Amino acid sequence: MLNTVVNNDLGAAKTAAKAFIDFNATWCGPCRMLAPIVDELADEYDGQVEFYSVDVDENPDLAQEYGVFSIPTLVVLKDGKAAAQKVGFIPKDALKSFIDNA
Amino acid sequence: MDIYDIAIIGTGPAGVSAAITAKVREKSVLLIGETKLSSKMRKAKEILNWPGAYGVSGEELADRLHDHLAAMGVNVTEDRITAVYDMGGSFTLQGKSGEMYTARTVILAMGVVSAKSIPGEDELLGSGVSYCATCDAPLYRGKTAAVIAWSPEEEREARFLAGIASKVWYLPMYKGDVSFDADNIAVIGGVPTAIERGRLITDQGTYDADGVFVLRESVAPAKLIYGLDTDGAHVVVDRDMQTSVKGVFACGDITGRPYQYIKAAGEGNVCALSCVKYLD
Repeated sequence: MLNTVVNNDLGAAKTAAKAFIDFNATWCGPCRMLAPIVDELADEYDGQVEFYSVDVDENPDLAQEYGVFSIPTLVVLKDGKAAAQKVGFIPKDALKSFIDNA
Repeated sequence: MDIYDIAIIGTGPAGVSAAITAKVREKSVLLIGETKLSSKMRKAKEILNWPGAYGVSGEELADRLHDHLAAMGVNVTEDRITAVYDMGGSFTLQGKSGEMYTARTVILAMGVVSAKSIPGEDELLGSGVSYCATCDAPLYRGKTAAVIAWSPEEEREARFLAGIASKVWYLPMYKGDVSFDADNIAVIGGVPTAIERGRLITDQGTYDADGVFVLRESVAPAKLIYGLDTDGAHVVVDRDMQTSVKGVFACGDITGRPYQYIKAAGEGNVCALSCVKYLD
């Protein structure tokens, strides 16, 4: 399941063993292309990795905290710490390896 | 939305030839480029080795290719592709016009682009360097930004950016007068020599910029689509013109030398046949 982050609150993601965060915005084309892929993976990784979607307009503090200067920015958190970060659209298989290898 | 069998990017001899063969094989074709066909080709004075048309000019050959496409009912869609998204089984192409196109296979035939990166550009891409002002501008609210532009069209992007950022440096890489009404855009001259975190350096000065927008006329192939193997300015292909991305093929100057019309046309033919084989 894909969780939508509000009020700059990533608290739940930080307590998970492994979490995936998709920083995006409604006005960003590559983000819109990536969204359905993230949605599918959220289901496929159900129970293994927690998925979060962060709209940078609504959560500017988080964008600042993670140094997001270009979107989509994708971050894998392990025990609350950023373990891997990537920018831009990536196809589904590559995104899976990115999550698996983080 | 229409899903095409084959999307062809580029309207030189490679792209046109691919479109013709694809049409002969009864595939649905989306040919994207210039409706008047390659303007680069139109500048060729005399072509001596195009079989059956000794000494033909680029202008005339382009006209004949144009007629050939028209006779076969192939239209050219005027647009410039800025990104290709691999959606698994299909590809979505983002046009500069804002239009999106979907196809099962893609043929890259947009010629060779000699876009050498600016030192620091590749390293900072996504963390201070962006290729799309309309995409990333809102992240620079109240911050400083620089725009390096290769076309007057980007002045609009700079105006958009200036409505969000506190200060915009505009460095035109093209000739002609540039001026803006907005007083937070400053036009600067010179040649960019480096991009560092927080600043743009040219041979004439150093400018504070939280973000640098590098807006070239054509996107380097490796940046156009994720996972595409390149060798310098060229896309790596096998004998079937298949690239490292399944379903994406390439032909013409983009695959390497010799840069010849007839070689491009031949590769376009192979490309189309490989697409047909892939689709069936």
